[in-house]
Amino acid sequence: MVIDMHLHPIFYKPVCTDEETLKFRMDQFGVWKQGPMDWDEIFAEMDVCGIEKSVMLPVDLTTTAGGMIISNDESAELERLQPGRMIGFASVDPHRGDAATELVRALDELGLHGLSLHPSKQKFHPDDPAAEELYRICEERNVPVIMHAGMSWEPDAPAKYGDPLQFEEMIMRHPDLRICLTHFAWPWVREMVMLMIKYPNVYTDTSVLYLDSPEESMMRLFTVDMGPRWFERGFSKQVMFASNTPRFRAFKLKRALDKVPMRKDARDGLYYKNALRFLYGKEYDSED
Amino acid sequence: MVVLKEIRHLSKSVEEYFNITEEVRRIVKESGVMNGLVAVITAHTTTGIMVNEALPCVERDISDLLERTVPPDAPYAHAHFLPDYGATGNNSQGHLKGMLMGNHCMFPVAGGQIVCGGAQEIYLVDFDGPQARKVYVEVMGETE
Repeated sequence: MVIDMHLHPIFYKPVCTDEETLKFRMDQFGVWKQGPMDWDEIFAEMDVCGIEKSVMLPVDLTTTAGGMIISNDESAELERLQPGRMIGFASVDPHRGDAATELVRALDELGLHGLSLHPSKQKFHPDDPAAEELYRICEERNVPVIMHAGMSWEPDAPAKYGDPLQFEEMIMRHPDLRICLTHFAWPWVREMVMLMIKYPNVYTDTSVLYLDSPEESMMRLFTVDMGPRWFERGFSKQVMFASNTPRFRAFKLKRALDKVPMRKDARDGLYYKNALRFLYGKEYDSED
Repeated sequence: MVVLKEIRHLSKSVEEYFNITEEVRRIVKESGVMNGLVAVITAHTTTGIMVNEALPCVERDISDLLERTVPPDAPYAHAHFLPDYGATGNNSQGHLKGMLMGNHCMFPVAGGQIVCGGAQEIYLVDFDGPQARKVYVEVMGETE
């Protein structure tokens, strides 16, 4: 089994209902030359590398750009259409006056499974008091938070908000909150490693394909940027498979990761067990 | 008379040999063109149009030859982020295999049917699947 912990369903046909909205998403996310996809094409891409479930991450840009890259209602609707395969997260712009109310609605009424934040696009520091209430709401409900970290390709996304060191104090205030800083916080890979070995509630994901081929990129990440045994020795329960679709193709990342030497238990964690623990807060011993 | 139709196909694997001969025959028959040419042209740069014998062993040999010629781990220049796509390329193997195979084929049309050898079959070959793919089939000629 493989769980893809990071995709943006920008081109999923059921939520591509008008051109203006789609153009907003494409321009804000910075992705072009792709078009709406039917479920059979989406599932073909997942099936070819054994992805059973994918986590959909919206981004609420209400105060910074006047819209959303997938709304909470759209995230919930996509999961309703494909229960069991698509897992919807919520997003709220911390600067919205009704941010806490909308997050409670998204989690309690829509049934979304966690919170997606993007400090660089939403332009807030992770320990901004405006976000504190959102972390508390997630902590109370035992749902995780995924925070985009490191470099973002999105336009108008200053990297200073993605520096992993900016996250440490909020992590320290929330030791029971499961927090994923995405993209290995690239290029701050070692700072990301530092956070994981200090804080067991901190996770990251593999959607790092900024340079080179997938094979070169993943091998460098796991054997050069990090020591070749760091992952399996130091934080094998804290890294999750993720593609950042539609930025990168999932099966190419999976094929590249298959070639990185690691123990079977570490690989199982990377591909699905860590995701299950992150999502639901408990250990899973088998694929059930 | 000129008739333009499309064949659509969703590939399900990274490399896929999909025989479209019967669909092309049907389009020619339904076009009303009795004498002329049919062109089969892919709409993509990481697919090929191939004419060959429809045997799994032949497909295997062709696939193996292309894989040896265009290995997956060569240091391709195209393996980098493409700002105007907002995505990483990383499909040079598909581009190069597609180029070697070619993007089209043509056959005569006579008596309202394709004229071809008994072993000749037409394939859409996807080198960067899974993806939704499109092939143009244009039939040109006289209706009488």
